[in-house]
Amino acid sequence: MPRRIYAIAASVVADALRRKVVYVVLLFAAVMAAAIPLLPSYGVGVAMGVYREVALTLCYVAGMAVVLALSANRVPGEVERRTVYNVLSRSVRRWEYLIGCWLGVLVTMFGVLAAFGLIVFGLGWVNYGQPMWTLWQGVFAIWLEVGVISAFAIAVSSITGPVVVATASIVFWMIAHARAGLLSADQFAWKLYPSLDTFNIINPVAHGTGVGAAYLATMLVVFGAWVAGLLLAGCVAFDRRDL
Amino acid sequence: MSETAAILIEGARKTYARGGREAVRGVDLHVTQGSVHGLLGPNGAGKTTTLKMLLGLVRPSAGRFEILGQPAGPAARANLGFLPEQPYFSPQLTAGQAMRLYGRLSGLEREAITSQTTSLLSRVGLEDQGNVVLAKFSRGMLQRLGIAQALLGEPRVVVLDEPASGLDPVGQRDIRNLMLELRDAGQTVLLSSHQLSEVEAVCDRVSILNRGQVAAEGPIEQLLGVAGQTSIRARGGGTLPASLDGTISDVAVSGGMWVFSVPDGAVRFAVDALDDDGWALVSVTPKRDSLEDYFTRLLAETSGEVA
Repeated sequence: MPRRIYAIAASVVADALRRKVVYVVLLFAAVMAAAIPLLPSYGVGVAMGVYREVALTLCYVAGMAVVLALSANRVPGEVERRTVYNVLSRSVRRWEYLIGCWLGVLVTMFGVLAAFGLIVFGLGWVNYGQPMWTLWQGVFAIWLEVGVISAFAIAVSSITGPVVVATASIVFWMIAHARAGLLSADQFAWKLYPSLDTFNIINPVAHGTGVGAAYLATMLVVFGAWVAGLLLAGCVAFDRRDL
Repeated sequence: MSETAAILIEGARKTYARGGREAVRGVDLHVTQGSVHGLLGPNGAGKTTTLKMLLGLVRPSAGRFEILGQPAGPAARANLGFLPEQPYFSPQLTAGQAMRLYGRLSGLEREAITSQTTSLLSRVGLEDQGNVVLAKFSRGMLQRLGIAQALLGEPRVVVLDEPASGLDPVGQRDIRNLMLELRDAGQTVLLSSHQLSEVEAVCDRVSILNRGQVAAEGPIEQLLGVAGQTSIRARGGGTLPASLDGTISDVAVSGGMWVFSVPDGAVRFAVDALDDDGWALVSVTPKRDSLEDYFTRLLAETSGEVA
């Protein structure tokens, strides 16, 4: 079973690495990151915080763009081109296929974000003369969040086309970050709201000392719960679908 | 003891929720191990839907599906290779990469994938194309690759949906030979095809589908044989012996070769008459329809239409 999932994931990674969109977005974000020090000067100590904040924001936007490009049409494209027939007519279960697709996107995003992280980390070190290790916490949190977005996109794409998937994913992302604007922390619904704010650690990373190990572990638990729920729903829906 | 069927389908039904269209209505199919079984039918007859239900690509509304005695789930499909109609592959892959991917999905070890990739690409005439990206492949080459991937893992049952599609005459001949080789090696082939000549050339039995139902099923010789009639081919003069008038039917002549039918009971009389008149007898065989004629007539009958 894991072997089939890994084989599908490996093919997704190989396919993603051949797509220009990954490199174009990465290059564009890197150029933008290189230009951050050109922003109007700030007081001593503030400049590094601004650099970290803008760099992580760029990383976040670039990550979202790439993950949507990779996830939204993964399953619909395979169904439409019927390449999925060559896969599912073997002893591959549909849930294995869906999880393999998600895992492939997640691994690709790890590479993309790691590459971007290296760029902004290196630029920061060169420009400010000291390594900004906490940037990696921010990159890690972004990776987890794009993993959840990818799980949502793949789950929805098991029953519909890429345009609906991309739109639904953006709406999901907006709703998942709207909790603070809609509710207050003392309301009961606050705890039940499907929020992705857990992964938003740009502020403590940019302007503080980052987050502790316990918080990182919490992020992993939230990530696991989101992904498990979304992929389970996607697998159930995909299993019932006529191809 | 009866041998386990390579493929068993009983009471297969598919009604699509959207529109309530009944694509398949109670199809039964029994494919014997080691045979080549043809699945024939016009467009929309339900052939592809039946195959998709067997392969788990479409959820059946009802029916029993088995592969080599096992329910046709993912585990049973380990013994099955499938060539979809007009197979598609990721165009960025090379032929070798595609074979490695499908080999891994079939559960093959690395060494087996390497050796089978080499032998199968050679078998389908793509021996020098392993490192060529599929974007540069012609339709016929993709079809050949589709056949190669269907044979990965040496499956005991092979389902081919229009395997000759997109192939030139040489390629079509190669595929026919391949199917016969598979049968000789003890593998089972279920062939869905529009090409009646292909079916006639290689199939031991055929099932003919029309409007979602099996309209006819049996050995091809039995289906095409015309009961009580014998076909005679002979070379001779400008006219047949007068004594045969009223006995023969379906007379055709071309390039001095006469072909006509006689009732089985009049064969001896007809042969003697031709001999006496100095004709050279070429063949005396049970009369047989062409598959095209049989197919057309059957569809007209089962559709309630005039062909």
